[in-house]
Amino acid sequence: MIPALRAEWSKTIRRPRTYVALGFVMVLPAVVALALWLNPPSQGDGPRFFAAATQTGLLFPAAMLRITSRFVLVVVVALFAGDAIAGEASSGNLRYLLLRPLGRGRLLTTKLVMTLALSLAATVLLAVTALAAGGLAFGFGPLELQPFFVNQSAGNLILHTFMATGYVTWTLAVVVALGFMVSTMTDSPMAAAGAALGFGVTAQILNEIESLGAIRDYLPMRYFDAWDGLFWSDRVPDDVWSGLVLPIPWIVAFLAIAWWWFRRKDVLA
Amino acid sequence: MTTAEPPGDRVIEASALTKRFNASVLAVDALSFTVDAGQVCGMLGPNGAGKTTTLRMLVGLVHPTSGSARLLGDPVRPGVAALAHVGTLIEGAAFVPHLHGLTNLRLWWESGGARWEDANAKEALGVAGLGDAVHRKVKTYSHGMKQRLGIARALLGKPKALILDEPTTGLDPQEIREVRRLVGRLADLGVTVLLSSHQLSEVEQTCTHLVVMDRGRLVAAGRTADLMGAADASVYFEVDDRDAAARLLASFPGVAKVHREVRGLTVDLDTAKRADLVAALVGAGIGVETVTARRRLEDAFLGLVGEEHTR
Repeated sequence: MIPALRAEWSKTIRRPRTYVALGFVMVLPAVVALALWLNPPSQGDGPRFFAAATQTGLLFPAAMLRITSRFVLVVVVALFAGDAIAGEASSGNLRYLLLRPLGRGRLLTTKLVMTLALSLAATVLLAVTALAAGGLAFGFGPLELQPFFVNQSAGNLILHTFMATGYVTWTLAVVVALGFMVSTMTDSPMAAAGAALGFGVTAQILNEIESLGAIRDYLPMRYFDAWDGLFWSDRVPDDVWSGLVLPIPWIVAFLAIAWWWFRRKDVLA
Repeated sequence: MTTAEPPGDRVIEASALTKRFNASVLAVDALSFTVDAGQVCGMLGPNGAGKTTTLRMLVGLVHPTSGSARLLGDPVRPGVAALAHVGTLIEGAAFVPHLHGLTNLRLWWESGGARWEDANAKEALGVAGLGDAVHRKVKTYSHGMKQRLGIARALLGKPKALILDEPTTGLDPQEIREVRRLVGRLADLGVTVLLSSHQLSEVEQTCTHLVVMDRGRLVAAGRTADLMGAADASVYFEVDDRDAAARLLASFPGVAKVHREVRGLTVDLDTAKRADLVAALVGAGIGVETVTARRRLEDAFLGLVGEEHTR
């Protein structure tokens, strides 16, 4: 398993698509931090991340997560997931990977671990670059928003940044699981990535439709935005706990279908 | 020729192998054949005969609708352990384009959980003969170079058997000769080879045995020499007086049969010698313009496939 993972890693990390995507999530916070530093927003009428981020750069990662999690990060992880199996199929390489004397499940496991690691790398790199860029621009101090009784120490902000990053990654794992599943079914990585992106966007749109009522409580990304509560109080919001549980059945279902499908698939690519 | 295992060992075995892709496409229809250790077996058939589908079933990429296959004695399923001893080239070599040739081989080898130190890399690369090009990205390779790198990859595990799907397709004549020579060299080392082709000239020269397929079905299987018939088993003549020649040859001792063709005559020989027939024709004052040994594999193959079509 370890040599296989290592081989997979060196193959993936040298793929232009991978390092362009990872480079992008690192450049983005730097650019936004620079813009914010040159042209600071006025203190708004609520706990807004960007306004607060000018008080301490430690809140800047949260601000970046807020603007990227709903779409940019969905696109990035959808790309990674769509590429997982279909990318090999489209280059004709899949058949050769399956000619190693190992079951197909082993290849799926390696690819899934790889895809999840890349997705985690994307969110963590974004948060870490944002932490560095925000800190350089606005300092590494604590957060005090007197009118809103918000009082967070620097250590707390960093801890909550990593909790929020993990939470966002975990919810995005639903998108990854769907993209991975479709990736076992098609020979086109773009089709699989498109399906994952469509799923991620649709799930969020459905969240906004109140007439769906209780159905919304079962949608996988229902509590996607709940992490921002971590920055305004010391309590972990209830929605975060719900949001940690809700993706599980979706992820399990998508991966079960992926495994079932891929084991019985005729590999013609 | 030396063999790695005693002759008669079944290296590849297909029993009533059948693949139906959907209601209207029966790609392979109850195909049974065996390849024994030490054989170089050519799988011959026109495009669309089901050769690639068959080879994919033999290595576990495609699930048979019914029937079964064995590889080195093991029932084939995806990722069967026997694949460690089988080198494969299926429908052209494919690689990760942005990696060097050598890196591609190493990562492929390691993706199976094996250590690169255990790979037969030096020999495999020597056979491929790519030289310093192995340190270049695969996207800069010509088709022939990719194909040779593919053969090197197939050899990494010191295989007992090679399954090569149309290994010379898209290569130039020089490269085709090299691949042929390579297959011959491997066969001499005792590697069992199954290679598919739609070109008779290719298998005729390299293969000891043949499996002839058409429309998913087995048309013939056996030793190449037997399937071809002896090269002198019949003779084609073009003469200036066809009727006189036909009469003369029909009554010639040792001639089995005389067929009239569009321009000439095909004479099936029993014990008669070609030279004697020519001498007799010339002695009778008949001008002989062309004499060719017939029943070369080309004819045999067309005959087999043709018969199948009218059966």
